[in-house]
Amino acid sequence: MLRFIARRLAGMLAVLFAVSVLTFLIFAVIPNGAPEDRMAGPNASPGQVAAVRREWGFDKPLYVQYARTMKKIFTGDVVSYVDRTNVVDEIGRGAPRTFSLAIGAAILWIAGGIALGLYGAARAGRAPDRLITVLALAGVSMPVFWLGALASHYLGFEARIFPDGGYAEIGREGVLEWLWHLVLPWSVLAVVLIGVYSRVLRSNLLDALHADYARTARAKGLSEGAVLRRHALPNALIPIVTLWGLDFGAVLGGGAVLTESVFDLQGIGQYFADSVSRLDVPPVLAVTMLGTFFIVAVNTIVDIACAAMDPRIRL
Amino acid sequence: MVDEDRHAGVAVAGVGPWRLALRRLRANRVALAFGALFAVLVALALAAPLWGDLAGTSPSRNHLSDTIVIDGQRRDVVTEDRVPIGPTWRAKYFLGADGNGRDVAVRLLYGARNSLFIGLTATLISLLLAVTLGLLAGYLRGWVDAVVSRGLDVVWAFPVLLLGIALGVALARDGLQIGPLSISGGSKWIPALIIGVVGAVYLARPLRGLVLSLREQDFVEAARAQGAGPLRIMVGELLPNLASTVLVFVPLLVANAILLEGALSFLGAGVRPPDPSWGTMIGDGVDLLTSAPHLTIVPGVMLVLTVLALNVLGDGVRDALDPRATVRPER
Amino acid sequence: MHWTLRGLAGALVASMVVGLAACGGREKNKSGEISVAVSSFPDSLDPALAVTAEALQSLWVVYTPLLTYAHAEGAAGARIVPGLARALPRISADGTTYRLKLRKGIEYSDGRPVKASDFEHAVKRILNLESVGTPYFERIAGAGAYLRSGKARGDISGIETDDSTGAITISLDEPYGPFSNVLAMTFGALVPSDTPFENQTKRPPAGIGAYKLANVRVNRGYDLVKAPGFDIADTPKAQLDTIAVEVVKNRGRQTQSVTRNDLDYMTDPPAPDQIRSVRDRFEGKRYREFVTNSTYFFFLNHRLAPFNNKAVRQAVNYALDERALVRVFGGLLEPGCNFLPPGLAGYEKIEPCTYGDPNAPPDLARARELVKQAGAEGEQVTVYGTGEPEAKGATEYFADVLSQIGLKGSPRIIPSANYYATIGNRRTRAQAGFANYFQDFARATAFFSIVDGASISDTNSTNFGNVDDPQIDATLARADRNPSAEAVSKDYAAVDRRLLEEAHLVPYGNRKLSVFFSDRIDFDDCTAWHPVYNLDYTSLCLK
Repeated sequence: MLRFIARRLAGMLAVLFAVSVLTFLIFAVIPNGAPEDRMAGPNASPGQVAAVRREWGFDKPLYVQYARTMKKIFTGDVVSYVDRTNVVDEIGRGAPRTFSLAIGAAILWIAGGIALGLYGAARAGRAPDRLITVLALAGVSMPVFWLGALASHYLGFEARIFPDGGYAEIGREGVLEWLWHLVLPWSVLAVVLIGVYSRVLRSNLLDALHADYARTARAKGLSEGAVLRRHALPNALIPIVTLWGLDFGAVLGGGAVLTESVFDLQGIGQYFADSVSRLDVPPVLAVTMLGTFFIVAVNTIVDIACAAMDPRIRL
Repeated sequence: MVDEDRHAGVAVAGVGPWRLALRRLRANRVALAFGALFAVLVALALAAPLWGDLAGTSPSRNHLSDTIVIDGQRRDVVTEDRVPIGPTWRAKYFLGADGNGRDVAVRLLYGARNSLFIGLTATLISLLLAVTLGLLAGYLRGWVDAVVSRGLDVVWAFPVLLLGIALGVALARDGLQIGPLSISGGSKWIPALIIGVVGAVYLARPLRGLVLSLREQDFVEAARAQGAGPLRIMVGELLPNLASTVLVFVPLLVANAILLEGALSFLGAGVRPPDPSWGTMIGDGVDLLTSAPHLTIVPGVMLVLTVLALNVLGDGVRDALDPRATVRPER
Repeated sequence: MHWTLRGLAGALVASMVVGLAACGGREKNKSGEISVAVSSFPDSLDPALAVTAEALQSLWVVYTPLLTYAHAEGAAGARIVPGLARALPRISADGTTYRLKLRKGIEYSDGRPVKASDFEHAVKRILNLESVGTPYFERIAGAGAYLRSGKARGDISGIETDDSTGAITISLDEPYGPFSNVLAMTFGALVPSDTPFENQTKRPPAGIGAYKLANVRVNRGYDLVKAPGFDIADTPKAQLDTIAVEVVKNRGRQTQSVTRNDLDYMTDPPAPDQIRSVRDRFEGKRYREFVTNSTYFFFLNHRLAPFNNKAVRQAVNYALDERALVRVFGGLLEPGCNFLPPGLAGYEKIEPCTYGDPNAPPDLARARELVKQAGAEGEQVTVYGTGEPEAKGATEYFADVLSQIGLKGSPRIIPSANYYATIGNRRTRAQAGFANYFQDFARATAFFSIVDGASISDTNSTNFGNVDDPQIDATLARADRNPSAEAVSKDYAAVDRRLLEEAHLVPYGNRKLSVFFSDRIDFDDCTAWHPVYNLDYTSLCLK
């Protein structure tokens, strides 16, 4: 078991390194106009531009720049090209927002997905099941940014049932405000995934209900409900949990960009989008590494958990 | 399971699995209906120039200071406070005008062309990449597999949207140059390429797994015994067996590609202005949401309908090709 | 929160002071706190560096240079008056020496006395921090040598100060007429001589002004707090206790908040899709628009085809429809065919407009003819612009106009943070693009600097179109030597006309900005619009 974990951790580090190099190259290699021009500001003389270039080390070879930026990221010293704010501070500020969004939505979509999936499987083939399927498919087909823009406008801006965007910090404005600001973003982000999860669970459940062990259980006299609860559901849930872990990692890792941007939550994803458009490399690097870390870490945990749970997988 | 398969095959004597699948698909009326919807949308997209002629304009032509007469009243296409006209339900400005006075219906149809082109091209790229990588890694194993798998791991670990945005912004400035091949920054091949690469990863892994299990089977062993080289085996034996899995994925890949293109364009990292795409139209529309909601609602509805049609069709294809479909009970 | 004894005592004293102030009687109902929203944090809160309008609107009432502008509306507000100096400078006959005397007994907001040598320190900061203001202050004799010496504490030979008398003597290398305007820029605001040579945005130095900065949270907001000790003749004092400025990126939300009276003032114009409703409901009651001294134009690169050809440049000017652009700006644009904005000495309205009435349809046929004759049909032109709704719309419109006259225009949208560095870089080879200019100081020189051949540079150029007209350059060189803009207004008017005749660029109007207040602000009596610094914060009071 320990060797397995060690191997996975080593793999994780390798992936993180590769991702950081890739990101750095994307911005270093493309002709994006030298950052020292932008940083020196308008009216800067060539001498001033050269001074900025030296100060920030842009005259050094690429691998040196990469090493220096990475070192600064790890020591927390890294600073934005555009406004010289500390990137780690900004990420620290955005993190609770992204976490709030991701965790809340994740709970919502797994609960909703399981509920609808159960209901659909229980009524398989009949009208309610078909309706849920249609709704689920519609949910899956919705672009999150469109749904979010319309929801925040009509339910927030016009009807004023919810705030039309922004994030309320628990410390400053209390839990209720925080909740109220997050209901719409959670719902919008969850709508899409509830569709996916309910359908996966439904088909897994139906398979499980017709598997041999279910037949055996019924032969032994268990009621249908008990068969569902004690045999079908646990088996059907394992792949769901795996999927949930992966999706949660993905949302945390950056899938929240759209929702954050539309609702102006100022989380890490939005910070990334703003930085990319300004070609501000340090935040882009830092956020990408963080996102990758989450994705890989969550995947590793899920893998380990699966391996631990499933006796068939030998480590 | 195998028994049931053979049983199903014998019950409909002499009909091959593809014909059977087609028959199942034809019986699925809902999937067919949505398939027809998708076909209609494609047809509309292809007919964009015709509509452009009817409306007398092009998708990027601005009509900011024009006026038109509706029901005897002369109205501004765009008022001085930048409120564009809403749907007129006539040839000109059928679905209204946008903030620059452009005809929304014309832009919608040309946008459909762009969104569909990118979606389909990206899917094609994904398929080519995934099949190639899956075959190579799964069959050749060894260091090829190691390199491909690690490469897939890296791309897969990269937050998809972040990668898309980063590449979209980076490449949009001055385009891409690989040796003699150069793609301009404004070309639609850039988002297609990005989405294609990203989508390939999702397909490559399952395909690799499939190839891994297939290569141990008898027919491969037999081909090898007959002296077939790796290329022959990969293309001749393994590839056809991947077909049904691949087909199941195709509608889903196209649907996701269209959604991803919408997201990238909405953030400004996809299709470049003034080219329309549903994503850019929604992005522009959101600025004028209070005064001109049709600018946001219309392209969004089109996008949802297209993706929905593809998803339902995809469901139908999967049900048709999945041998266990005959065993699925219906109560 | 840690309540130390000292903290408690301090809080007690503070509350007593507030309580006493509240019992102040007559002023009670007019003081108080207001909330303000801005779309982006100022580029800097350090007076040596701050450049953007958002920054200067606040810094003008916090930091005072030797000279400043009158707190008045309209043309009166563009008049230079003494700031920390006792009187306007005595300028030598050859125009190279400026003599001023510091007012007696003035103190910074932290209580320290102001010394004449603080001025030299402020200039050193400007030069050391590579400020945008550097080119202006480099005209001081010895500034170049100071920079080259690399010693921050070195001496600038062209500035002589005497702390005991408060005398300040500035010598220029060459006469520069607008130098009084330069002295009035916030760059030259006096700050204590121990202010470090670093960007002080996080901890702005003490200044002298009606308000002082407090509670600075970079990228989030800051407060302007009434400076109780401020007392300079003819300069208004603060009427509010606190102006809490908060960054709210979404203009739509800002607009809604002000509409609902949750926010007292937004510095930006209302969101594009709410302009109509705000105008309908609040014009004259809580909302007003002002024409600013700005010029909005498209630059045309003289060094690249097709705009190296005058006929093609003229064609574009004929084809431009200013009515369309007014719509792109939601009506917040005053169309015109001059380059100089009205309200500046040297503005003479060009009538009739060189290329047709801005309120009538443009002459597209003539434009097409010109393009064809010039052999430029089918030429690809990339038009640069930024992503804000108005700029994007204008850029897309302009690209379409080019396509309508036989060229092939395509827009290229770039994020605003990178925009000026991009189009100011020769390697970008930008053929045309969206541009605007808000005055650095209230004299035509500032506007003409962007069409002056001397401003062309390979990087960070401000002359985007590489306009290099010897006639214009010579006229400007002559006119700029004169300290009085009125005296050379005819020269400026001539340059303005020539810009249009030679179609060196495509100007289309002056931006209108607005003020939108909540119910609490006394709209009728307490809102003054300044031609250089937009809303004058010292004019604000509550009902």
